[in-house]
Amino acid sequence: MASGKKYETVSGIEVKASYGPDDIPDDYAAAVAALPGEAPYLRGAHREGYRSKPWRIFQLSGFGNPEDEAERIRFLLSKGATGFIMEHDRMTGDHLYDPDHPEVVARREDVGINGAVIMSAHDYELALEGIDQKGTYAHAGGGVAQHAPFCLAGYWNVARRRGIDLKDLNGTGQSDLFLTYVGCPPLQQIPPADALKINCDIVEFTNKAVPNWVPISMAAYNGADSGLNAYQELAALMAANVDHLDEVKRRGNVPLESLAHALGGVSFRVAMDFFEDIAKLRVARKMWHDLLVKRYGITDERALRLRVHIVTAGSAMTYQEPINNIVRGTIMGMAAVLGGVQSMGISAYDEALSVPSEQAHQQSVRIQQILMEETGIARVADPLGGSYFLEALSADLEAKAWEYFDEIQEQGGFIAALENGFIHQTASANQVELEAKMITGERSIVGVNYSPSDHDPFGIDGFAGSADAWDKAMIRLGELRSGRDSALAMAKLHELESICRDGGNVMAGVFEAVGADASVGEIGDVFREVYGSWKFPVSF
Amino acid sequence: MEVPSQLLRGTNGSVSGDVRVLMAKTSLDGHWRGINVVSRALREAGFEVILAGMVTADTIAKVAIDEDVDLIGLNVGGRVEVVERILDVLAANDVKVPVFAGGTIPHYASDKLEARGVECFPPGSDLDDIVAAARRLTNQ
Repeated sequence: MASGKKYETVSGIEVKASYGPDDIPDDYAAAVAALPGEAPYLRGAHREGYRSKPWRIFQLSGFGNPEDEAERIRFLLSKGATGFIMEHDRMTGDHLYDPDHPEVVARREDVGINGAVIMSAHDYELALEGIDQKGTYAHAGGGVAQHAPFCLAGYWNVARRRGIDLKDLNGTGQSDLFLTYVGCPPLQQIPPADALKINCDIVEFTNKAVPNWVPISMAAYNGADSGLNAYQELAALMAANVDHLDEVKRRGNVPLESLAHALGGVSFRVAMDFFEDIAKLRVARKMWHDLLVKRYGITDERALRLRVHIVTAGSAMTYQEPINNIVRGTIMGMAAVLGGVQSMGISAYDEALSVPSEQAHQQSVRIQQILMEETGIARVADPLGGSYFLEALSADLEAKAWEYFDEIQEQGGFIAALENGFIHQTASANQVELEAKMITGERSIVGVNYSPSDHDPFGIDGFAGSADAWDKAMIRLGELRSGRDSALAMAKLHELESICRDGGNVMAGVFEAVGADASVGEIGDVFREVYGSWKFPVSF
Repeated sequence: MEVPSQLLRGTNGSVSGDVRVLMAKTSLDGHWRGINVVSRALREAGFEVILAGMVTADTIAKVAIDEDVDLIGLNVGGRVEVVERILDVLAANDVKVPVFAGGTIPHYASDKLEARGVECFPPGSDLDDIVAAARRLTNQ
């Protein structure tokens, strides 16, 4: 270990050389003594742990054309993935641009590089070819808030066309304010307050029409990979859900328990601070429980159990000697298993170069299967519960998380803290601090600033994907416009615009428009016209 | 004047006069961690950083001319062909400013860019090396 290194976690919590029974605070003893499956769920959501509910192997997948996405999803499912997350092209998807939009045309070769181009219900049909919607848990895409209604509408319309009752669908949305406004803000994006409104529409629509679907899911991962530390990630996620809970509750269309259950499927990042990340996942469940009980008086156990998806940190994957990332992915996956999760995605070893190659993608699934089937670490629920160190760290982390939660509330809540740049300033300061620690050697990354090397003996390079995604998308766009009942599509788009202006459920309006073969860019035109565009609140 | 630096090891504040770096993102990809940290390091070294964000090749050329920049830094999150178009548009507009690039650039792409004189800094690059390149490329 390099000299000059402080003994503290990545988020700056000082740690001692060893721990004993006196280090677990008295006010934490009750939570530690409660078994897994018992409130406040610090030690796990379920008594039987992974015996009753193995975690879902849930990998992000998509690039190029819709057919490429379908092929990759089928491939991952054939290797043992137990659900799939659709990843769509950022330029056409997140931005709600059709492929002939000038901003897209100007960079057309980039189209499809990070995800598949899906611009209509028909494209969704192509991307879901050969995939059993009724029997497979799905994330339909739509991480970015303004993109989410289109994605849900696309996926659900395909099910409707296949004759599947929407009540039989299982899956999740995202509409994640962290990705949208902190992690990867698009060039144009509806303002946060309008995103909150639309998210509430999604919750209400889903509650009635697709009741087994998780309507939205905040992914604090996207705040963390942009710089928020462990306790800030916890606090910001709780604060984001509080804004949603308060608003849906105020509207009064969904029972509070159903609402809390719907919002209790969330996502965190697991990075390379093993014990802090384990502690974070455990503390998240306790914070959610305490928040719902104290702030909302909720007693329904189903609602009080937080359900956690994790993604291992993409930013921890190095460009240098990428084969080492398999070790990193494994260690982060272990932390997730020990912290307790319902589902998991492991960033692929070629993450710093490109979207995953088929081999790298398969390898991510294999890490999960090795952890699950070979190591024995999933045999017992919360096997580290009662560890003097882990419980002391959990208590510290929780205390700091509530402090930062209060700071967000002082800004006026999470949406206000996005609008005024408070969250971004925190993230930016941490970005600089983490980088500075690389320079001093306080933070070591092997093969990068510790024993650096330019040589990759394994010759791993980026996955090139499909170079024809834009050309093919232009052809499909032409076919869409000429093949559909345009009067119907236009009528539905006008209805959507009225809903956006005058009130009503935007999710319902988008569902109808996409069902009438409106394109992603046409939905975007309505949103841009009505809501305008948000401006990134800090400069650097 | 020597300014305390968080992101550099020591050679601070020694860029003389008004040396301008235009920083732009080549694709519609809003990840900002890399461009934020690199822009701050360049500022700490005394460069004036003009942040253009997610802009097209035409806009990069226009800003480079209007602001009379000395160096262009490209944050690459997409395909090399888009970066090559930017180089072509700069050449067509007679912008003879050096270009360097950072981001998720696979080796097959950085080989192409380096053949056209664009120094590439993949993820994990040392900020001191990036700033040293900026000094060298602007004769500082």
